[in-house]
Amino acid sequence: MPDQRRYHHISSAVVAVMPGRLAEVAEAIAGMGGPEIRAQENNRIVVVMEGDSAGELGAQLTALGALDGVVAANMVFEHIEELEGSAP
Amino acid sequence: MTAELNRRELLKAQAAAVAAATAGIALPASAQPIPGGVGALEIKWSKAPCRFCGTGCGVMVGVKDGQVVASHGDTQAEVNRGLNCVKGYFLSKIMYGADRLTTPLMRKRNGVYDKDGEFEPVSWDEAFGLMAERAKKVLKEKGPTAIGMFGSGQWTIFEGYAATKLMRAGFRSNNLDPNARHCMASAAYAFMRTFGMDEPMGCYDDFEAADAFVLWGSNMAEMHPILWTRLADRRLGHEHVKVAVLSTFTHRSMDLADIPVVFKPGTDLAILNYIANHIITTGRVNEDFVNKHTVFMRGETDIGYGLRPEDPRETSAKGAANAANMEPMDFEAYKKLVSEYTLEKVAELSGVEKSFLEELAELYADPSRKVMSLWTMGFNQHVRGVWANQMVYNIHLLTGKISEPGNSPFSLTGQPSACGTAREVGTFAHRLPADLVVTNPEHRKHAEEIWKLPAGLLPDKPGFHAVEQDRMLKDGKLNFYWVQVNNNIQASPNSSNEAYPGYRNPDNFIVVSDAYPTVTAMSADIILPAAMWVEKEGAYGNAERRTHVWHQLVQAPGEARSDLWQLAEFSKRFTTDEVWPQEILDANPAYRGKTLFDVLYGNGNVDKFPRSEINPDYANNEATEFGFYIQKGLFEEYATFGRGHGHDLAPYDTYHEVRGLRWPVVDGKETRWRYREGLDPYVKPGEGVKFYGRPDGKAVILGVPYEPPAESPDDEFDIWLVTGRVLEHWHSGSMTLRVPELYKAFPGARCFMNADDARKRGINQGAEVRVISRRGEIRSRIETRGRNRMPSGVIFVPWFDASQLINKVTLDATDPISKQTDYKKCAVKIVPVA
Repeated sequence: MPDQRRYHHISSAVVAVMPGRLAEVAEAIAGMGGPEIRAQENNRIVVVMEGDSAGELGAQLTALGALDGVVAANMVFEHIEELEGSAP
Repeated sequence: MTAELNRRELLKAQAAAVAAATAGIALPASAQPIPGGVGALEIKWSKAPCRFCGTGCGVMVGVKDGQVVASHGDTQAEVNRGLNCVKGYFLSKIMYGADRLTTPLMRKRNGVYDKDGEFEPVSWDEAFGLMAERAKKVLKEKGPTAIGMFGSGQWTIFEGYAATKLMRAGFRSNNLDPNARHCMASAAYAFMRTFGMDEPMGCYDDFEAADAFVLWGSNMAEMHPILWTRLADRRLGHEHVKVAVLSTFTHRSMDLADIPVVFKPGTDLAILNYIANHIITTGRVNEDFVNKHTVFMRGETDIGYGLRPEDPRETSAKGAANAANMEPMDFEAYKKLVSEYTLEKVAELSGVEKSFLEELAELYADPSRKVMSLWTMGFNQHVRGVWANQMVYNIHLLTGKISEPGNSPFSLTGQPSACGTAREVGTFAHRLPADLVVTNPEHRKHAEEIWKLPAGLLPDKPGFHAVEQDRMLKDGKLNFYWVQVNNNIQASPNSSNEAYPGYRNPDNFIVVSDAYPTVTAMSADIILPAAMWVEKEGAYGNAERRTHVWHQLVQAPGEARSDLWQLAEFSKRFTTDEVWPQEILDANPAYRGKTLFDVLYGNGNVDKFPRSEINPDYANNEATEFGFYIQKGLFEEYATFGRGHGHDLAPYDTYHEVRGLRWPVVDGKETRWRYREGLDPYVKPGEGVKFYGRPDGKAVILGVPYEPPAESPDDEFDIWLVTGRVLEHWHSGSMTLRVPELYKAFPGARCFMNADDARKRGINQGAEVRVISRRGEIRSRIETRGRNRMPSGVIFVPWFDASQLINKVTLDATDPISKQTDYKKCAVKIVPVA
């Protein structure tokens, strides 16, 4: 239901990268200022993202997917935390 | 660290751990998941399929305090193996938009219904009361052909099935069509014409077995990211694997293309015939396969463009009246037909370099290479869409590359249940469940028997298809119209001239069920608030024949109700005496005085399963309201049509336990590849390959030529318009445009244009322009950069933006066989806004 409560969103994603471009893509992700890289191996980068809305995370994932050298950026996990004291 | 921050760090560790496990990566020691896993967060996890596209990904949905608060890709789901694409973020968001509809609305003035009035909240009783009154009036004055319904590939299986019963058996009207008509009607017709059975013979397992992938018009990187990931893994993990991408412009999927092919709109037909010609002239026809398992047919030609019959392009089309005709021909005649499609000729016509065409043809011709062909709207939204689908089957059949792992002509779908509901349940104007058709007396009889209805009740004439429904509304011949689960005013071609006028025609009464106030809902006379996705128990069928079921997990807001409830509850407002012909009731007096609910849903089949069979851990509002397990009853009655006929579904309860099963499910086992001995239980030992959907057990190779599009650029309207989607906004944008961040990333539709084309017209990047066709115009802004790079002579405008309705510009031309609209080819001009 639409409500006035505030939420915090936490999400993770797997970014699949073109062979040989892992370092370049990792650098680009680091430069985005949002997604945190948690692991990288075999043309795969695991990122964690957080923000105030699912849309913010969706926009970050979209931007990841559109980076040069990225084959696909796919979400794995999303969690919504209600902020304490935000209930009306 | 505060407790909240600490918890966040734990959650982030958990998120990373799940992702790392999915990617098969070991996490650094610093990142450890929460002890006890996500279960420790007091969240109840349940499975459901994603509701956003035809891929059919499995999702784990986390519910806490009656709200969806978390989701993750289902690691047990074979389709997506723990991943979700960006659409996954909207699964938890989609139900909670600020402008969600929560009460029925009726146009009123001075307290009473008025078509020119403003929307006011009303009760379900008042809404249904007026709807029933209007429907009865229309039935009495004009008969069943003046009643119609437009449904969707997003309907659950039960909803589509309940709708087909209500329309065909209740109101005796075949004017039922799904928005899937705009999406994959061409694919469905081609399956029926080639194999006698709908839907792909292969499945997604082909992604891991193919040596080459050919994308015919599909931009999978943006539209089907999960399947694209599987394709990319195969390509990048195996050096010999090749990818060919064909399109009318350069897009994201081309990044991975070994063979990138940009062709002129409509010339894919010529390329397909060239490939067939190449296979024949280089002696690579699989003669044994062709002789045993195929027949050659010649298709009717000059078949028109599905425009209004008085259009000169229809009156001059010699084959328009018999567009679907196929006559037997032999291999020699087929060989002669395709021999015209030489490399030189096709390179010239299509604008594609010869070397790329040869490389592409060799992927198919090389007997040692397994090929998966993939397509969606490029083939289907095509004035020769059925031909294009059949022509790709031609090249798979000529080489015998079909019905085995990795050799797979594969028609992708756009909507979550375009296959499971729209096609399998039979919500098209000419269809009945499980590939039966209304025009076949035996099929109608079979349906009447299963439905326990009087003989002769079902109407035999196909109803109005989607585009024809718009035309008939405008012409005042279709007067009571109910739209469920789709945004037709935005999706319909040539909408200002052919769709919107029908909704506002004073003779018509329009009902729209939706969760949000789309432009279609706002064009209606009554809006009914719909429950969506996990607010109800549901079942979908994806593109690889996988049937997938979920439980109701949360309550819909306010007065919102599922489409199933709406259909079944509304049926209580009619008695057989009011809507069925006198002679049928005279011959079957036991049916007198019953409500449509009694005869359609209280028939001993649908109401057979008590509520006690429902898992007590889950709510089921419809079962509570109606007093029986209606979803199971509808499913089991529907399954009767296909069991033993190549379309076997498992017992309903099984689907609650598994991550979907691919039909036919025989002896508890799903079928991954059809038509081949050892893989398909319907092919007997010794038969090898059998296309058992057709009486002769053989598939059809169709001989047809290249024919040009309905409208091509000329001196005045000098550029091609192609429409489609972008990564940020899918479907009609009715969801994504409600998300501020995505809106910011892609604020409105853009007109993608070649930089030289723009310069020649004196237009700068970002400038506002008018996109004008013979039918209408919109204003947009020019984009010469970005992910979509246009060749000279072609523009691309996505259709998600309700403030730039590009379908005011498009042409309502359809494939004359499938009646599916061609949104990909019409002529426009671009004029700078002074």
